Amino acid sequence: MKDINKKRTGNLISIQDSLVKARFFDDVIMGETAEIFVDGKYLQAEVLQIQPDPKNPDAGIVEMQVFEDLTGAKIGDEVVFKGTPLSVLLGPGLLTSVWDGLQNPLYKLSEEDAYLRPGMNAPALDEEVLWDFTPSVKVGDTVSGGDVIGNVPEGKVDHKILVPFSFGTCTVESIVEKCSVNITQQVAVVVDQLGNKHELKLAFRQPVKSPIPFKNRAIPSKPISTGTRVIDLLAPVGYGGTVGNPGPFGAGKTVLQHSLCKYAVADIIVMAACGERAGEAVEVFKEFAELEDPTTGESLMNRMCIFGNTSSMPVAAREASVFIALTVGEYYRYQGRKVVMLADSTSRWAQALRERSGRQGDIPGPEAFPMDIPDQIKGMYQRAGEDLGTGGSLTFIGTVSPAGGNFQEPVTQATMDATGGFWGLSQDRADAKKYPAIDPLVYTTSVYDGFISWNDRKKMLSTLNDANDIDQTISTIGLKKVPVSNYIQFQKGLTIDFCVMQQDAFDKVDACTRPERLAVLNEAVQSLIDNDIAFEAGEMDDEQLKESIKQKFDELRQWWRDWNYSATTEDQLAQLPKAINKFILQEEYAV
Amino acid sequence: MIRKEINKISEVGKALISVEGNPGVALNHVVELLEADSGQSLSFAKAINISENSTRFQVFNGTAGLSTRTKIRMHEIPLTAGFSTKMLGRSFDGSGAVADGGPDVIFEKQVSTRLDTLNPTVRNVPKQPLWTGIPMIDVFNTLVKSQKIPIFAGPTEPYNRLLSQIAQGAQADVIIFAGIGLKFDEYQYFKEQLSQSGNIDKTIMFTHLAGDSQIKGLMLPDVALSVAREFGDQGKDVLVLLTDMTNWSNILRNVANYQDMIPSLQGYPGSLYSELAKRYEVAADIEGAGSITIIGATTLESLEDPVPDNTGYITEGQFFLENGKLKLARSLSRLKQGVNGKTRSDHRAIMTAMASLLADAEKAYEASEVGAANDAYSQKLLRYRTDFISNIEEPFGEPIGLEAALDKCWSILKRHFDPTETGLSKKLIEEYWDKN
Repeated sequence: MKDINKKRTGNLISIQDSLVKARFFDDVIMGETAEIFVDGKYLQAEVLQIQPDPKNPDAGIVEMQVFEDLTGAKIGDEVVFKGTPLSVLLGPGLLTSVWDGLQNPLYKLSEEDAYLRPGMNAPALDEEVLWDFTPSVKVGDTVSGGDVIGNVPEGKVDHKILVPFSFGTCTVESIVEKCSVNITQQVAVVVDQLGNKHELKLAFRQPVKSPIPFKNRAIPSKPISTGTRVIDLLAPVGYGGTVGNPGPFGAGKTVLQHSLCKYAVADIIVMAACGERAGEAVEVFKEFAELEDPTTGESLMNRMCIFGNTSSMPVAAREASVFIALTVGEYYRYQGRKVVMLADSTSRWAQALRERSGRQGDIPGPEAFPMDIPDQIKGMYQRAGEDLGTGGSLTFIGTVSPAGGNFQEPVTQATMDATGGFWGLSQDRADAKKYPAIDPLVYTTSVYDGFISWNDRKKMLSTLNDANDIDQTISTIGLKKVPVSNYIQFQKGLTIDFCVMQQDAFDKVDACTRPERLAVLNEAVQSLIDNDIAFEAGEMDDEQLKESIKQKFDELRQWWRDWNYSATTEDQLAQLPKAINKFILQEEYAV
Repeated sequence: MIRKEINKISEVGKALISVEGNPGVALNHVVELLEADSGQSLSFAKAINISENSTRFQVFNGTAGLSTRTKIRMHEIPLTAGFSTKMLGRSFDGSGAVADGGPDVIFEKQVSTRLDTLNPTVRNVPKQPLWTGIPMIDVFNTLVKSQKIPIFAGPTEPYNRLLSQIAQGAQADVIIFAGIGLKFDEYQYFKEQLSQSGNIDKTIMFTHLAGDSQIKGLMLPDVALSVAREFGDQGKDVLVLLTDMTNWSNILRNVANYQDMIPSLQGYPGSLYSELAKRYEVAADIEGAGSITIIGATTLESLEDPVPDNTGYITEGQFFLENGKLKLARSLSRLKQGVNGKTRSDHRAIMTAMASLLADAEKAYEASEVGAANDAYSQKLLRYRTDFISNIEEPFGEPIGLEAALDKCWSILKRHFDPTETGLSKKLIEEYWDKN
């Protein structure tokens, strides 16, 4: 057996941006982490490849990506191999935290310097906070990886303390009584089958590139109330589901992500701000702290943790950040929590892989992405899922930033193939300021039973489709030649689009629509679709009739939008279906 | 201090030189190139790839005239930029050397050009508007202090005129002008405009003219932004003008090509996004200090070109200039929501209503081109569109305040529509319709 305490080292022989090579004489493990000693600081790195040394048959050459800026690095600088793969610290205190892509706590680092300097680091979780630990095993019990040995309250979350997943069957040799402990203190000792003793604490490190197992995996089916109407009505996502959310810049991906953070009904939100604007992550952790969680009424930050590897931070850490965030999500799923993970943006993650493979001199695939990028994307989304065994779920919503807004590019295509749902944001709708710009005609969902029946969904969609077709006809042959009946159908579709599909994310009432309100809206929409409207032509010719129909629908839309912005009580909600029924009869409905 | 020297250059290429073996130079450290016999300084250079077999440098002044006998003197420090408040009113080149023929500047300190990331936790959420007097910006896409935003424009559009108009009105303590690949007349234009507006004394110009050494153009934003950041750290509100970032990206592409990097799209390196982001992300409102706002210019043939495309994902919106007009449909300020809810009660609503009507009007305009917009409402929309383009999308003219601009919007709506056609709430209609 290898002596794990023996220090294994190497020395740099080549430096190119974030990619380095080192010569070594001992053993090196694929995927292990390393530290490079540069200018008095230790920089974090990860082993990518091991090759023979053409100059020295007794040595080998290891290729590594470095997670920090290498300015000042020289040939010969020492590399120390750590023996452990890239990992994340899991334990109480994860919630409300804000880290960089390698789980360095950003608030803690800011005490040292306003800028992130190479070599800076701090413990991932606060080591001073005391947690009220209640044991749930006793001496002599048999436990193995993933088993619960006790719990601590983490805010409103009952945080279970687990035996690290890598452990085999062990016997509990000692366990503390109910007490207050921090994450560095021992709470139990277990003995494995070889007789080796292991100390257990509240927190442990978990490798991030291989998934935490499911107990009893299921196909996601129960829809999440996201508060966004077009999603919940037409393209719902289930607990444990996966969604790709591509859109050109300016189409509203960020606003939608923020809206999901605020309103999605979930226990925990893990956000990987991966290679995106720093300002957006800041908005989340500074402003969301002031907002209320829709289910608990507490600060929204109490259910969140954020990995902010923003666009100007070292590229190599971008890849790590997504895996680290995923592993935190899996950890809470294993504890029975409903977790939603948002990754913004998976394209930046893929670009980080592209930059790296380019430097490594790999033969490039389409648009210079690594050849295996579709497999890597699939592998990532596969880690989401629902676990009936624990009652938890991990939902993964990834944004995609397609180059040129072109959905044919490799990352968007691979994502469409990898995910169960697809929310495509449309440039045309964004240009017309029709937000959220999810095209109601271009989406996919794998959830059959949503908040409204499949049949209602189909009818809604077919009206929107009709309106779209008639709109195109009007643009090509002119309004005059369109029959009145078609024009009414067009106005109905327009009304559903304007009053239901579009939503104001910045209005207090309109920003979030819950299932009860959706039901009311659906009732109104269905009766509008099902019924002929009693328009009277009287003395008017077709032209004048259409003008008058448009005016009536304009008034209805204005009334409906006012309702969207204001109706909250049961009475106020009930006004909408009433108003629609009166509109169908062409009676006075304004209240 | 005796500095180590290397006597043998093995390879001289475009903008790059290499030496065999490893002379002990560190990554990104600076060396000086000396004429072999006279010892006269020819240029500085920066180590970019090092291995035990060879070391490669980017030469600031270009490689013309260098030979294998040229000496390399090691300085053993990373690249820095000189900083002094005496730089105000002066012009410098891409490496931070005086370029206006004036006296040398005695620098107070040297600042790192590495552009380390600001810890996100010390960023303030941007909340302070930066008024420009241009209705299209102030009403529809409010500019916010610490914003990073480019002007997207075709190469023949008056984007530099717009940049300069914004700079003249903007309330900043310091203006840093960073020009890459400029034509001489553009440089002169800025200088004159800034002088005329009386802003020259709070301006520092960093200029790289088309035809100057590529490496100096490549490093110019880092030097300019490091100086801007130092002012920001000292509590100043700084406005940085970067023009034109497409020129800069093209230099990046050339140099990546000289370095044999694998190209991704249209020859640009795969790192284009990260490289642009590193510069634009310097924009920040810093807790307990000042702020840095960046307005860039990005010239383009098509929005799908890699430079504007990547830029759009990095910046907080864009101003789109076409036929001399600031186009509403393609312009966006991502930070406007943080400020436009605290102005006048009708601000957001009128912005949304007018935009939505304009989108309908564009459709009517397309229909009209095939003779399919003959109904009364389409005709209304077409008249509205004409009015909007000439009165709202026009960026050049007398600056007007926000209130006046909003009133102007109401009067345009009233000229063309009935209240219910606007999609505005009853409450706002009652409050503002008859006032204007």
